[in-house]
Amino acid sequence: MIGAGPARSSDNGRARLPDADGMATGPDGVRIAYEVFGTGDPPIVFLPSAPIVHSRQWKGQVPYFSRRHRVVTYDGRGNGRSDRPTEPEAFADDRFVGDLAAVMDDTRTDRAVLVGLCSDGVWRAIRYAVEQPDRVLGIVAFAVGVPRLTPPHPHYVTATAAFEDDAPTHEGWARYNAPFWRHDYPDFARFFFEEITSEPHSTKAIDDAVEWSVGGSVDSMIADARVDFPLDREGVEAICSAVRCPMLIVHGTEDSCQPIARARRLSELTGAPLVEVEGADHMIPGRHPVLANLLIRDFVRSLARDPS
Amino acid sequence: MRADGSVRSEPADRPEQTRARYPDETGVIERDGVRVAWERYGDGSPTILLMPTWSIIHSRLWKQQIPDLARRHRVIAFDGRGNGRSARPPTAEAYAEAEFAADALAVMDATSTERAVVITLSMGAQRGLLLASDHADRVAGMVFIGPSLALQPRAPDREAVNEFLEPPVSDEGWAKYNAHSWRRDYRGFLEFFFSQCFSEAHSTKPIEDAVGWGLETDPETLILTELAPGIGDRDAILARCARVTCPVLVIHGGDDRITPHARGEALARATRGRLVTIEGGGHIPNARDPVKVNLAIRDFVGRLERLERLGRSS
Repeated sequence: MIGAGPARSSDNGRARLPDADGMATGPDGVRIAYEVFGTGDPPIVFLPSAPIVHSRQWKGQVPYFSRRHRVVTYDGRGNGRSDRPTEPEAFADDRFVGDLAAVMDDTRTDRAVLVGLCSDGVWRAIRYAVEQPDRVLGIVAFAVGVPRLTPPHPHYVTATAAFEDDAPTHEGWARYNAPFWRHDYPDFARFFFEEITSEPHSTKAIDDAVEWSVGGSVDSMIADARVDFPLDREGVEAICSAVRCPMLIVHGTEDSCQPIARARRLSELTGAPLVEVEGADHMIPGRHPVLANLLIRDFVRSLARDPS
Repeated sequence: MRADGSVRSEPADRPEQTRARYPDETGVIERDGVRVAWERYGDGSPTILLMPTWSIIHSRLWKQQIPDLARRHRVIAFDGRGNGRSARPPTAEAYAEAEFAADALAVMDATSTERAVVITLSMGAQRGLLLASDHADRVAGMVFIGPSLALQPRAPDREAVNEFLEPPVSDEGWAKYNAHSWRRDYRGFLEFFFSQCFSEAHSTKPIEDAVGWGLETDPETLILTELAPGIGDRDAILARCARVTCPVLVIHGGDDRITPHARGEALARATRGRLVTIEGGGHIPNARDPVKVNLAIRDFVGRLERLERLGRSS
């Protein structure tokens, strides 16, 4: 079943409105809503961390980079204005990579710098860069989410093992649970974003993320969580090692979603520099936008100087 | 690298946060044995004087104005007696509004500042009004942010819940506005008070800052400021407003729970000034909505400069 997402409530008061928008069609016919801002090379594509949030997660980046670059954002399947499929196969890796390709095709973006966060952003950017090296100029990888690269945080291991269990109570990470999501998804969303945005003075970043999350689809979230990741550690490392474009890795030392060991391992495998942000948790672009923007800016500038 | 972009860690004994802009010059004036510390930033004209407010906080309250204003202006700030790097004299009389105004004049003299645009917050309006009405030649323009001037009644919940010096009837809400309560739980009062000042969502950082500055003074000093002579009743204030000859800008939060928006309206009327309302804003919009406030100040100072040019050419 496919249902189109409703108009978003958080569109009021955007610092920068898109110059163009449209719908791309993903590999299985799922429609993917994108927006294009500004002009200037190289183009920058911001990947969504879907289906838990949508493209507004980059609100701290879009107004800044669209002054000098063509910026493309899109809502990942399952949230925002994109379709919301509910079968697990719709959330297989290939579909997400296919959505990125479809958006780049539809926006006539031949080559771009890819910026992503967590597994939805980083792992898919890496896969696309390996499959289509001519189309990826570079990758900025925030909060490295590459599955299998190292063990996940213990709280995820426990929670995912009991994901389908209908437990009588749901405290802490036990909220990461399909029956609980159907029962009280907003409670999970608030818990989740408070956990992974643990820096002081994060109330706005948390409120925004919760709003984007509860506007999404619980069925899509559950379908996405039920997907079996098809690769083992060796398979993942082989793909990471095959990245040929420049990459910058940025990871918070207090990241409670993705272990920093994954960022360190990715850095070893690719030779890409790793910026460890002391005291930062998972959502660096949302919680520390100036820092994130300066890091992206310097990386993009370094590409222009690269004679290759 | 740290999340604020810095790579060097501060020494642990350093009490102050990193500043976006450091002063180009610092100094101290002394009046009747009371030392008052000032800072100067930048060189541009006209000079802007940032007045101290109630000594519950000090001049860092302007931390989001100084880096912006100092790009174009000579900016002078000083810690009001009773907090920051200024002295804590032990008598209530030393905290009279007239003393703060005299400190401002002494700082202007010490920095060879003939005239300045004067910016005030909250209680700073009282000492600012003294300056603008008694020394009109020294004041090129007045900006009153959330002015605490008794031109209109306070909100009902802020009217005295109990006598300031008497044992409080309770320890809840505004009943904390009491000498006994301050002595018993000073931090608790600060946290309550600044939660009321910053009524906007997502204010944890300015509240934390302000509570920290509040803890740099002590309840006994703050009790003296509460008992100090003010600037008189409504008629006295209106008489002073009538003597203000410079252009006036009033900036007031629409949701100010400390000093009602009606006071800002009344002040703008009485001084023939312009009123800018920060919709949904609380008592300290310069800290919570610094961009809006800075742009309003920039616009006001720009119009002052155009007026002065017109005055010279006519």
